[in-house]
Amino acid sequence: MTNNQIVQHQIHAVFSEVQYLIRLLYVTQDVYMRNLTLNQLWNKIDQLQFLIQLDQTTPTHPKPIMPIQQPSTQAPLQTPTQLPSTTPQPTGQIQQPSTQDQQSYTLEQLAQFNGQNGRSAYVAVKGIVYDVTNNAAWSAATHFGLEAGRDWTQEFASCHAAEQWILNTLTPVGRLAS
Amino acid sequence: MDSEHINTSWEVGELKDQIILPPEPITNEAIAKRLYEQANIKLQSGEIKRPKLVWLELNGCSGNIISLLNGDNPSFEYMISSMVDLVYSNSLMIPEGEKALDKLMDLLKSDESFILAVEGAVSLKNNGMYQLVGSYKGQPLTGLQAAKMLGAKATHVIAVGACAVDGGPSAAKPNLSQSVGLQDVLDRRIIKLPGCPCHPDWFLGTLSHILVHGEPALDKRDRPLLFYSTLIHDRCPRLDYFHKGIFSKTLGEPYCLFKLGCRGPVTRVDCPTRRWNDDVNWPIGASTCIGCSQFGFPDQMAPFISYDT
Repeated sequence: MTNNQIVQHQIHAVFSEVQYLIRLLYVTQDVYMRNLTLNQLWNKIDQLQFLIQLDQTTPTHPKPIMPIQQPSTQAPLQTPTQLPSTTPQPTGQIQQPSTQDQQSYTLEQLAQFNGQNGRSAYVAVKGIVYDVTNNAAWSAATHFGLEAGRDWTQEFASCHAAEQWILNTLTPVGRLAS
Repeated sequence: MDSEHINTSWEVGELKDQIILPPEPITNEAIAKRLYEQANIKLQSGEIKRPKLVWLELNGCSGNIISLLNGDNPSFEYMISSMVDLVYSNSLMIPEGEKALDKLMDLLKSDESFILAVEGAVSLKNNGMYQLVGSYKGQPLTGLQAAKMLGAKATHVIAVGACAVDGGPSAAKPNLSQSVGLQDVLDRRIIKLPGCPCHPDWFLGTLSHILVHGEPALDKRDRPLLFYSTLIHDRCPRLDYFHKGIFSKTLGEPYCLFKLGCRGPVTRVDCPTRRWNDDVNWPIGASTCIGCSQFGFPDQMAPFISYDT
């Protein structure tokens, strides 16, 4: 995954945590637990603020930036290069997404991934190869008469012209070599 | 309860020609009975008119009219006795041959309003000669001609079944008869009810809505939102298995049928809740969904089942 996607994933995770804490507040009876929950909520909102700042300032091309779990400061930082030295995720995990993102498939290689006989189902749209093996709309590795393992950029553009967000719901696994 | 009697304003309004004197009962059943009897009297005298319905069978398997006979609440009997006046249906009417087509032509000439329900695709090859509705005064009447003539004059046109909506199985590869959906030959609003066959409730529900409230709310593909709004996948009883990744390997297992090629995730219709044959069962109760109520059936829904993935 690109760093932008890692940050966005974190933002969504924090949103879910905030919702959980708000629900917890509804059921909490004693003042002590309520205050603790409110403190947690405050921390989460600060974390959100930081992540959103990070999202806006992160450049789009991949750059090794460590995702932060617990920000130690309250104020958001201006640029990613001024990050405090917090413990990073295991570096293997960071490097892998960027190299996986660069993995390229030729059309012949792509055709191998047609979902048959236990293989995964991949499709290519606009130069990016996506894994649709577990995508509900691609049951039996076919979608409205289209088979997996091919480039369906034209068909996607003609059918889902106003629904580009669909691509954001797919899992990319590489690029199509031209 | 029977001794007290209050003339409510709505009751007086409904039966303004008749004054209710005590001790008429005011239980729900008694009021419903009075209304029903009044409605019957008005039907007999001609004050309330049932609209006319023409059911045209074109290039199809006539599965939709068989499905219609299975209707329940309202039933088919109720439809033809109380809802509409079924003027023409080549499978169900008593007159045959020329006399049957006389009824159709008289309706066209009389300028009376009617609702047109079409099942089956329109065959275009050889100027429509691939599918004939009958022969009238020595001339063959092709499905293409009938669709155009009747479609132009009807107040509402309902395309019943996958074939009438977009060609369906009649237009499957290699489509030797050049069959197309009804919209391709009629340039007007058509209410589309895809399904193979169309569930009787979908047609009877749409017809009821037209009779009481006019045209129902339609989505972008002209399907009534009443029936065609949620995905089968979202209402499927096997959905939890899908989320947990527990998939059936054969049809006997009760888990999610995604890996076998179920088209529930791409089909928008209310099969999971309405089910079929008076709630006896439904496709996913036994096998995969083949997406029969989605546009593109059957070619774009193939393979119906796959043991390869």
